Order: sequence, then structure tokens, then C-alpha cells
Amino acid sequence: MVALVIILTVVVLLLTVLVAGLLRSHADILKALHELGVGVGDPVGDPVGEAVGGQNGDHRHDHSDGQVHRRTGGRRHSTQSAPNSTPVPFTMGPQLPGERNATSAPTIAGVTPSGDALAIAVSGNDQLTLVAFLSSGCTTCAGFWEAFQTPDQLGLPDGIRLVVVTKGPEMEIAGEVQAKAHSRLQVVMSTDAWGDYEVPGSPFFVLVDGKAGRRIGEGVANHFSQVTELVRRAQVDVQAFGIGSRSRAFAGGLDGPERESANDRELMAAGILPGDPSLYPASLDDIFPSNIDNISADPSRARTTPLQDPQAAQRSAG
Amino acid sequence: MATLRAHGIEARLPDAFEGRIFIRPRVANEVPFPVAHFATFALPGQVADFGGGAVTLMGPNDVFAVLFEYGPESIGTRLFARQGMPRALGVDDFRPNLLRRGLGGQSGTQWFFTESGRPFTFYAVLGSHARRGALVPHVNSLLSNLSVNPQPLSVVPGASAWN
Repeated sequence: MVALVIILTVVVLLLTVLVAGLLRSHADILKALHELGVGVGDPVGDPVGEAVGGQNGDHRHDHSDGQVHRRTGGRRHSTQSAPNSTPVPFTMGPQLPGERNATSAPTIAGVTPSGDALAIAVSGNDQLTLVAFLSSGCTTCAGFWEAFQTPDQLGLPDGIRLVVVTKGPEMEIAGEVQAKAHSRLQVVMSTDAWGDYEVPGSPFFVLVDGKAGRRIGEGVANHFSQVTELVRRAQVDVQAFGIGSRSRAFAGGLDGPERESANDRELMAAGILPGDPSLYPASLDDIFPSNIDNISADPSRARTTPLQDPQAAQRSAG
Repeated sequence: MATLRAHGIEARLPDAFEGRIFIRPRVANEVPFPVAHFATFALPGQVADFGGGAVTLMGPNDVFAVLFEYGPESIGTRLFARQGMPRALGVDDFRPNLLRRGLGGQSGTQWFFTESGRPFTFYAVLGSHARRGALVPHVNSLLSNLSVNPQPLSVVPGASAWN
């Protein structure tokens, strides 16, 4: 009996030490998060203003719908403006300047490989401009540099302006770029342009509709013939289906922050409120249900599945 | 607003303008000096100093402008006696017979001056003389955003300089 009491006492003491250690560790984590500016558990001050605007430099927008929208690193989160809420900012990817949207096509300004200054306005004119973001070192880019040696044989449709943009002289060797560029090829070295057009890597191509002043296509390719085909299709779309006029509608306020606000309203109307688990998929199965065959067999569910919508499927494929 | 800066010339480009500031490669004993081209239309890759190869592409709503620097031997001559770049031009400053190359419907203007101790000419072409009332403000907007720095001696083409 005495031995059992002693053993239990020892066990209780060990558990007490273990719990104390866990609490200490938890306190250390909270303290470290607080020092990083996350503000979890900060009982004083305005947690949103301190953690989001004050320390991280992110933008905060108050909207009349009673929501607080925060743009952190290109991802936007909405939280109910409840007095006891403790928002935790989440940063992913580069920060978006407030005045930029996903289709804007600003003037590309930089220097030429020979050190002259060059600015190319891709908006405000009546032509399509194909902007090729290349680097002097990437293996895939070599094929494009070679193709650009003979601009007349590229096979681009008439009226398409071709502009090559590399990173600026601080990140590229101007002599290398000059050696690869044909004399009639317009090459701008501009790191800012890579940021403005959100270029993920090279090679990357952007097609700009000058009349609408917006990007109408962008992506990667391994061969210039692929790019040529995409440009040809885009040109047909612009001419035949009046994409330009639709683009003007986008430019008139249906894109950028206004579009995000409209999306928020649609989601809320559908009952998807900020924090809804469906907004935060944890795995690919949450995005692409594994039982998609079963869904297509059930017409009532198929109507609500985006992948069954021909237009949505086409967009996904495109 | 995009900014161009090279060879001691800086331009903050108004909306819809594009441009380039360059020095042509030296040929034989010729000493080239900086040239700046500005346009509201797509400038082709090869444009002559005063717009040859570009002005024929202009539409009625377009503007083309050149800032062309001369050699230091021009400083102090009567042609460049005017101090400072013109900053506000009037519609009457543009005339069809001032064009370097007469193209129907267009008009132009040209000014010689010394700015920051450097001799320049500014030459501008309007795509439509009839629409000069609407186009001249674009030229003035460009002029108000042009600046010239005194060229350091070490980068004056043809001048002696330490490497």
C-alpha cells in the first residue's frame, strides 16, 4: 500500500513537471509570435492596427459593409469586426501595390543593353504587344533568343509588336543580353517591369491589348511557334468577339479592388462568410473531389459542380 | 509615370508617351551626341534623328518630339542664344511649313536653345494641324517633364577623360 502511494506520488510529481514545462514552452511561443508582430494574445491596444498596419506595413481597408478587409501579401482576408476578435495576418507572396490590378499594363521603362534609356507604352494604342520576359542565362530562353535573330521569320500575325524584357543591369549582364539581341529587336532591361507584370520566371510571355490597355493573355511556352499560335488566336478573339469592348468594361471598374469587393458580396450572399472552411482547402481533394465520377452521375449535384459547367471546364482547360 | 534617364537627360513621361534617350554609334570621325525621341505611338526600332521612319506612322491624334543635342562648339553662337528650354508652346507656334518633311495634314515647330550649358534643339510634330488645339497641351506636358543636367566633362563624347 505504501509502495503504491509512493509510486502515485512520483507519477503526479512527474506530470506536474511535464505540464509546467508545456506551459512554459507555450508562453515562450506566444512571446516569440508577439515579438514577430503577429500579436496573438496581445491583450492591449488595437490588435489589427498594431499587428497589421503598424508593424507589417500591410494595407487595411474599412468598408461600409461592416467588414475589415486586409490585404496581406497579395492575399485578402476578411474578418468580422467583432470587438473581441484577434486577427492573425497571413503573408504569402509579394505584396500588391494598391494601384495595381491583375490585368494592368503599365509602360515598360528601363535601359537598353547599350546603356540608353527606353520606355515602351503598351497601352493607349491600337495594336497588340507581345512582351517576352527572358533572361540571358536560362536554357529554355536560348531557343527564343535564337528565334528572335530573324524577326521576319517568327510568323507573328501582322500588327503585333514584339518587345523583349530582361531584368535590369543590376541583375543581368548587359553585354550578355546585347550579344543575344538582334539589332532590330527592342530589348528593355527593367527589373521593375518584372514586378509590374508579376512575372514568375523566364521565359514568360504577356500579350497586351493596347486599345483596352490591359493584359489579355499570359503564360509560358517552350517554342515560339506555340506563342505564335496563342497570339493568333487572341488576335482573332479581339477582332471577332470584341474583347476590346469587354476589356473597357473591366477597365471601367469591374477589375481590381472593385472586383474583389464584388466577389466578397457574392460569397456572403451565398452564405460563405469569412473564415468558412471552404475558403481554405487543406488538400487537393478539397479542390478536386476524388468522387467526381459519382458527382457527374448525380445530375442534381452536377449542376453545382463548377467542373461540370462547360464554360468553367473550358476556362480550367485554358 | 515612367521615367527615362540617360546621358544627362531625364524625362517623366506623360500618359500614352513612350520614348528613348540614346547616342548613336560613332562612325569614322563623327562625334555623336544624345538624342531623345518621344511619341504617343509605337516607335519603330530604327528612327532617324528627326523622325524619319516614324512621322509617316503618325495618326491624327499623335505627337512626336525630338530633343537633339549639338556639340559644344555650338555654345555661344547666335542660333543657341536662347537660354532655357521652351516650356509652354502655343498653337500658333506650330505650322505646316516648319516640318522637316512635309506630310499632308501635319505641322511642326522647332526651337534652338542652351540648357544647363548644353546646346539643343527641340522639334515636335503634330499628327494633325487641324487638331493642334487638342495636341499642343500634350507637347507642353512633355516639355514640363523634361530636364537636362550639366553633362560631366568625363562623359562628353570625344572629350579626354580618365578611364
